[in-house]
Amino acid sequence: MSSDDRYKEIIKTEMAKLTRPVNLKVFTCKEKQPEGSQIRECMDCGQFMALLKVYEENSNGMLTIEELCIDDNPEFAKQYDISRVPTILFIDNEGREVIRYLASPKAGEIQPFIQAVFAFAGAPNYYESTIRKNLDRINPSTIKVMITETCPYCPQVATVVNNFAIASKGKIRSIIIDITANPDIGQYYDAAGVPYTIINDQKTIVGMVGAPEILKALIGSDIRVQY
Amino acid sequence: MFNFDMEGIDLEKTYDLIVLGGGPTAIGCAIYAARFAMDVLVIGKIFGGLIATTHIVENYPAITSVSGQGLMEMFRDHMNSLKIPYISDEIKSIEIVDDHFELISFFQKFKAYSICIATGSERKKLGVPGEEDYAGRGVSYCATCDGPFYKDKVVCVIGGSDSAAKEALFLSQNVKKVYIIYRGEEIRAEPINKQRVYDNDKIEIIYETNILEIKGDNTVKSVIFDNGKEFEVNGVFIEIGSIPNSELAKRIGVKTNEKGEIIINRKSETNIPGIFAAGDVADAPFKQAITGVSEGVIAAYSAFDHVKEMNIEY
Repeated sequence: MSSDDRYKEIIKTEMAKLTRPVNLKVFTCKEKQPEGSQIRECMDCGQFMALLKVYEENSNGMLTIEELCIDDNPEFAKQYDISRVPTILFIDNEGREVIRYLASPKAGEIQPFIQAVFAFAGAPNYYESTIRKNLDRINPSTIKVMITETCPYCPQVATVVNNFAIASKGKIRSIIIDITANPDIGQYYDAAGVPYTIINDQKTIVGMVGAPEILKALIGSDIRVQY
Repeated sequence: MFNFDMEGIDLEKTYDLIVLGGGPTAIGCAIYAARFAMDVLVIGKIFGGLIATTHIVENYPAITSVSGQGLMEMFRDHMNSLKIPYISDEIKSIEIVDDHFELISFFQKFKAYSICIATGSERKKLGVPGEEDYAGRGVSYCATCDGPFYKDKVVCVIGGSDSAAKEALFLSQNVKKVYIIYRGEEIRAEPINKQRVYDNDKIEIIYETNILEIKGDNTVKSVIFDNGKEFEVNGVFIEIGSIPNSELAKRIGVKTNEKGEIIINRKSETNIPGIFAAGDVADAPFKQAITGVSEGVIAAYSAFDHVKEMNIEY
């Protein structure tokens, strides 16, 4: 079995377990053809959407992927500051962006992406009680996680940060960025190593980092835990 | 896949065995424990352990060749097939309470009748000026993670071990030139990898040399040798060995040797009944994934015996 087939099998098996509805918005870029049809303009968008279809089609109708053309939805794109495609958004019921993916959920990134979908759907989240306990000490924060497809530690950092964001009731926003697909972002932050985690464009954590360190960096002091 | 549902993790339950670690040793231990019908939970900081960063593994029996990440995925599949729960967390203290242990993590509290410490080791730092400043901006401890950033650039690998040789071989696929900088007279790689290094036109070894400083502006530009020479490189990959992750073990009174490795016997027992240890964190002189798995498996069997002797029903 090729690795692509194997990954598809994992997506199929895991997505079949989703029991609650989740809607994700995906921004792409389309161009109108003379006869009225539209084709995707950006090079990656076709493959990206084909992959997301695998997730959607195997979710028993629980996952809906809503493709939005950036030009057809300028207000919405402006509201969420969409400046590049493809971009995946997890938006909560109150319209708050919780997770943004500037990365394709393939290979090693399948696991954190599926876990995010499940936690977003309301599945139990291991970090939730501690995040909630410390919520008053967390300022509104954006955590950017720079990843590459070959990095074995990146999915673990992405999983933690996504789960933090989902548990935080809108206080934490997670952005997962593949810097081989978005090299300008990597260059902007001088990132030549992954995972590369940036909190509010100020604190930078290079390399594999565990959940306690990320939470400590968010709070700036010891974690309050209720066992 | 892990952590999809917390139903696999019961915070009220006293587990027969909690395995600390996320590498081959921990996974081998957990697989055997599950097959002994023990209630087992794995708590690790990094799933896959250090071997996940190895670009190629060619010495694991029955697998001719696999990437470290590929091997990690196979471990994960095996764990999933046995429904062994894994969580990403770190235990900060362990207490003995009546007949069991209480393990306190940063996020939760757990109970277990036995523990296997398989927390592995972490890469040693060089300890020179510039190393910390340029971490992630030219200084790396993981060629598999960061190698693709150095396409057509010049990099150096510090160290003379088999791991250093493998890092250099992996990097040579993309970079313009790799210099292995080693303080000794001859690299200590396995003969098969040593020969591959010698045969690789892109790799050059600089012997009997130490790095005193790493310099640059926004990113690494050069290193300073102990002979005073400034040597231009774009990336520095540090592979000078590892130190055991035994701080937690020491804090709870588990005996360690002068290297900080946990002292175990042939049953993977430590000096504290019910606490076992295995793999890179333990005191075996030759540390490999396969030897770690072996010690982990023995730890599972010993833990099984320990729990059985406690007459606990499971």
